[in-house]
Amino acid sequence: MRKWLIMMLTVVMFGGLLAGCGGSGGSSSGGDNGGDGKSGGKVQLTFWGDWGGEGQKQFETMVDAFNKSQDRIEVKYMLQQDMVTKFLTAATSGGAPDILFWDRWRTSLYAPKNVLRPIDEYMTRDGLNPDDFYEESLKELTHDGKLYGLPLTVDARALFYNKKMFADAGLQPPTTWDELEQAAKTLTKWNGSKLEVAGFSMGDPGLFNMYLQQAGGQMLTEDGKTNFNNEQGKQVLEFWQRLLNEDKVYKIGFEEGLGEGNDAFVTGKVAMLYTGPWMMSTYNKYGKDLDYGIVPPPSGPNGDQGSVMGGFGLVIPQGSKHPEEAWEFIKWWTANKDNALLWAKTSLNMPGFKPALADPFFTEDPLWKPFTETLEFAKTRPTHPGYSVMEENAVIPNLELFMQNKQSLDDTLKKAQEQGDKLLADNASVE
Amino acid sequence: MASVNKLGRHQARMAYLFITPTMLLFAVFMVIPVVMALYLSFTNYDVLSSHDWVGLDNYRRLAGDTLLWQTFLNVMYYAVVFVPLNLMISLLLAMLLNKRKAGVKLFRTFYYLPTLTSAVAAATVWIWMLHPEYGLINGLLGYFGITGPAWVSQTETAMLSIIVMTLWQSVGSNMIIYLAGLQGVPDYLYESARLDGASRFACFRYITWPQLRPTTFLVSVMAIIGALQLFDQAFVLTQGGPANVTKTPVYLIYQQGFNQLQMGYASAQAFVLAMAILVFSIISMRLTKAEEPIV
Repeated sequence: MRKWLIMMLTVVMFGGLLAGCGGSGGSSSGGDNGGDGKSGGKVQLTFWGDWGGEGQKQFETMVDAFNKSQDRIEVKYMLQQDMVTKFLTAATSGGAPDILFWDRWRTSLYAPKNVLRPIDEYMTRDGLNPDDFYEESLKELTHDGKLYGLPLTVDARALFYNKKMFADAGLQPPTTWDELEQAAKTLTKWNGSKLEVAGFSMGDPGLFNMYLQQAGGQMLTEDGKTNFNNEQGKQVLEFWQRLLNEDKVYKIGFEEGLGEGNDAFVTGKVAMLYTGPWMMSTYNKYGKDLDYGIVPPPSGPNGDQGSVMGGFGLVIPQGSKHPEEAWEFIKWWTANKDNALLWAKTSLNMPGFKPALADPFFTEDPLWKPFTETLEFAKTRPTHPGYSVMEENAVIPNLELFMQNKQSLDDTLKKAQEQGDKLLADNASVE
Repeated sequence: MASVNKLGRHQARMAYLFITPTMLLFAVFMVIPVVMALYLSFTNYDVLSSHDWVGLDNYRRLAGDTLLWQTFLNVMYYAVVFVPLNLMISLLLAMLLNKRKAGVKLFRTFYYLPTLTSAVAAATVWIWMLHPEYGLINGLLGYFGITGPAWVSQTETAMLSIIVMTLWQSVGSNMIIYLAGLQGVPDYLYESARLDGASRFACFRYITWPQLRPTTFLVSVMAIIGALQLFDQAFVLTQGGPANVTKTPVYLIYQQGFNQLQMGYASAQAFVLAMAILVFSIISMRLTKAEEPIV
């Protein structure tokens, strides 16, 4: 009898274990359920994104508006932490969502794996004009001649400056490197060995790409090799060297850990910096006394302009069972002036749809206008699948050594090139 | 005799039955993944489409992966400084707090508290304390006329900052383990030693330390494993910078596998890390001679 009891107990315990596993498996493929059942005669779509908090509310505003605008399709937003990893498993085991919020630069990695659905035929069928989107943002969503999604947001960095400091010093916002250097030098304040006000923020060596464009260069050659160990790259580093060592407009680590209410620009400890529209809500929230202006990035020695375009898109995974309906949603959101504007105004993002950016909301606002001007010449990052590792593991580390005076200019460019080319080659083919 | 054998067999059967759930879980979540990872390290698996046998290609690529070897040097430097300091400080704290005095429990709680803080929150606070101009630490140094460095941004001090922060965060839990160990040391050993006129230091050297060997072994092996797998604190505090001096193998493995979709190569990197952990654990085992304490 007792034996039986033990056996029974064991069986029950196992059953519990298996059910536990099965349960979690079921919920992870939960996205699939919506695809099968059409509740109330409507097609149910799942939309994955990794924006929580405010961003989630902004997404839900758009989803609700879409659901109300018609009676065939019902979209549901699902917040996914660590979304890309989840998509990796979902794409292979079923349960992929119908619409995916997509960091555009990932396209060159994922498109070759056939997990995203090309949308070219929908574009031509519905007569959408590619010229309504920035060519650069579409380029980032294209692989092998096929387009994989539409841009939802665009952004680029421009120069933010503290208006009060500029007025006190009788300065005009800079338009060239020389003017930038002069302004930075004038506005910097030292107290002995203590930096009180940095004239210009140089905390992010990752902006090298942007400076290189301003010097007339490009990060990669057409055949996917690094292209900065040359005159243009040298000009950028000489400029940095002047700013850091001769003009002493910045101190390494000055902005480390300062954010939100302590942000160095908000508290007047930094007079100028390159950043994007995403910082405006922080500055408006915490910078009650901060009066700032924005201008497009100053041009380099030969008059070249440059900024890096980034942003997100919406894509349809191959695993979606309702690509037609998913496309309807994407088109409604990204390629309709009213909806793109609603999105822009509620989320304070710049929409990827050009006609929406032509609205007075953007063209007549002194803070948005410089961004629309910058977007005209901004370039996306190269679409090489190894680009981001190259930048992070080869370029930035060498630049950091250079900025701390631990490596010469020539060595920096040479090492960044050697290490960069190796990383590009190692990460080139993802087949 | 026969009945004893029968009883023994019965007990053995029951024992296997009882450990089956654990062993099954162990197999499903540990053994199978490890074997899978070993297999994957010989393929070009990318999670999504390809899955072909590439032989030793991944391991050949490892040889030329200078960044990976640099990250190994980074964590070794970290381990060499961190592990001994961790042992010393937590043992010292445990010995101080192993007294029956008023308020001792309060102090135990205080020293343990940092362990409960999330790595991310702790790192955020530490970044402020280590700020070159407005941070607490450089502020204190300033009173003595010393201009402190930009702790987390300079190549010389970035890893040191991580060591200090992780020490602050991890000595608490090791202190608890040592406290338990100290309380397991039988009183009669000390009593007889004192009767023989042994000094306090001799008591520690010949009684406490040998008695704590199993504890020290546990603590040091855990610390070594933790050190070689360093990731989140380093990531929040310095993002692997400056100049790659705080980048760690785990960070590279994650980047290679999940960002670059080269899961096969990432598995090969992970196997090298696993081997390194094994080697260091064996060395530590030899050093602390983890035999049973003599009672």
